[in-house]
Amino acid sequence: MHILIVEDDEVARDYLAKALREVGHTVDVAGDGLAGLHMASSIAIDVAIVDRMLPKLDGLALVQSLRATGRKLPVLILSALGEVDDRITGLRAGGDDYLTKPYHVAELLARLDALARRGESGNAETHTKLKLADLELDRMTRRVERRGKKIELTAREFQLLEFMMRHSGQVVTRTMLLEGVWDYHFDPQTNVIDVHISRLRQAIDKGFDKPLLHTVRGAGYSLREDE
Amino acid sequence: MDAQPRRVASPDQRFLGILDTSPFRVAIVYSIVFACGAALLLGIVDFAVSRVVDRSSDDLIDAEVQGLREQVLVLSRSDFIELVEQRSQDQDVRGAVYLMVDPQLRPVAGNVPAWPKADSDDGKWIQFKAAVPFGEEMRDHEMRARRFKLPGGYNMLVGHDVQERQDVKNLMMRGLIAAVALTLLLGLGGGFWMGRRILAQAGAISAVATQIMSGDLSQRLPVRDADDEINTLAREINTMLDRIEQLTLGMRTVLDSAAHDLRTPLNRLQATAEGAMGQVTAGSPERRVLERVTTEVDHMRATLDALLRIALAETGTVAREPVDLSELVASMVELYAPVSEERGIQLESAVASGAQVQGSRQLLAQALANLLDNAIKFTPDGGHIRVLLKSQSAGPPSAGLRPAGPEVIVEDDGPGIPADKRELVLGRRVRLDGARNVPGSGLGLSLVAAVTKLHGARLTLDDAAPGLRVSLQF
Repeated sequence: MHILIVEDDEVARDYLAKALREVGHTVDVAGDGLAGLHMASSIAIDVAIVDRMLPKLDGLALVQSLRATGRKLPVLILSALGEVDDRITGLRAGGDDYLTKPYHVAELLARLDALARRGESGNAETHTKLKLADLELDRMTRRVERRGKKIELTAREFQLLEFMMRHSGQVVTRTMLLEGVWDYHFDPQTNVIDVHISRLRQAIDKGFDKPLLHTVRGAGYSLREDE
Repeated sequence: MDAQPRRVASPDQRFLGILDTSPFRVAIVYSIVFACGAALLLGIVDFAVSRVVDRSSDDLIDAEVQGLREQVLVLSRSDFIELVEQRSQDQDVRGAVYLMVDPQLRPVAGNVPAWPKADSDDGKWIQFKAAVPFGEEMRDHEMRARRFKLPGGYNMLVGHDVQERQDVKNLMMRGLIAAVALTLLLGLGGGFWMGRRILAQAGAISAVATQIMSGDLSQRLPVRDADDEINTLAREINTMLDRIEQLTLGMRTVLDSAAHDLRTPLNRLQATAEGAMGQVTAGSPERRVLERVTTEVDHMRATLDALLRIALAETGTVAREPVDLSELVASMVELYAPVSEERGIQLESAVASGAQVQGSRQLLAQALANLLDNAIKFTPDGGHIRVLLKSQSAGPPSAGLRPAGPEVIVEDDGPGIPADKRELVLGRRVRLDGARNVPGSGLGLSLVAAVTKLHGARLTLDDAAPGLRVSLQF
């Protein structure tokens, strides 16, 4: 994946670039908004990471100019602001995702992955049937089957599974789940998401020899078929 | 949109509202004073005029009576009759009436057709009606006359036609009544119109004020192109609002730069620690140190987030939208149900549907999460937590005029908070001694308090006997 980092904090930028390169991405960096805008419009980039407060051209202005030229490039906004409704302004300006500093690299990687894949398989959202190995989910009939056997899920478990299946093969973090399934943007002190996931795991993996729902240590969860 | 469903005033209520305005009351008082004044003035004028006119015409009649009395002594009867006839015909003295009757009260001379029925003593004034020619027809006119005896049993009546004066008087009376009625009508009408104007303006101002109080500081009071008191006041308040907005924006900027200045080094620390973690082997002492660093960064971040959210909620500049409180409470209960079940805690809920408030869904969710986190943290295994949402609280509205909105209650049967410490825990970073060994920033309830305040709600901590009962009354 070709990633552009627009960030004025040199230390954070270098570590981030290094971390991204380590997992095999191609990385370009820009230290201010104008340079970032120039690179985003001239180089073929898959995802851009844009800091909100940038010299020369503000991060939000950068995204807005990018969108004004019709560029569909997925953008993740990094912010060091106070939050709450900053997220909304960030997404309204044209950002696709929003992450507040300090963040875990694992969280950022998971989100970048999700953003890039969303660009690739844009029509996955519209598929009625989602399928992973022998697990099938029908969005129309709200029916879930594994190996032809019907699995009973609560409405929320269904939503959770649907979200995981749309991101199958990717790492999904707890905050991504809380945002994507419940539409909440806070970090609960208790492990609320873990318990929901373990219930879902009970429902879909219990009694089958190959588990599909995996825990990714230090990051979150992943729904995938293990080879 | 407003947090409470705006009460729509029916036409009746609006009408009664106008009657309650100060301009209308002033107008009523003034109209009554003016009407009384006008009535008094016209009464005095009428009294004075009739006194003067009556007196002068009475004097004239007296003089005439005196003259005729003298004449009757010197003139023969036929000459006297001649004289009376002459006087009667004399058009110089307009409205003068004469009548001379014989002892049987039959008219002998004069211009009055018959002796008035209302009889009176000699020398007295009488008032009577007599038919007088008026063009072709005859009309009854009011007369005022004095009678006196003539020698030989004859009687004489000398008087004046007062019909005209009576007409003028009646006209004046009618005018007076009309003037008073008109004054009252105009006064009430004017007062009503002014009242409506004031009410419309006051209504617009209070609508804007409600919006401003709910956090939209960009709103300004409507100002008309006039220099009256209300407009002057509105302008001054607007200037004040400009200043408040500047200050609040300034606070927000300070908060944002504080956030930036704290988040940036934390981010570097996190990045550095995570970067270094890749260099050391898992399980080594160095790795454990780095893991502790990132854990501490997480804690600092959580505390910073909480502090910033509290500060943001306290500036009141958070964007508002209609929030489906019923959906929010139900989904928070649903989110926390598995966790409490795992602890053997029964999480019961009764959520009324259709409860809506104006505010920040994320902050309300955070506040509820904090309450549920706390409840789960402090409730012993096998305990109970109850979450209630009442769409409209029963009983009289406690906070003055505002109708009671929805109420969210979170109850647990944990240790509770002693009555004397309840105020204290709402302050920042207060953790009671018994809670020191439980993880948390100690900001949970402070954030709940700030969010409640931001939404114009009331937060109360009570004894659930046993346990803690937290109520958010919107």
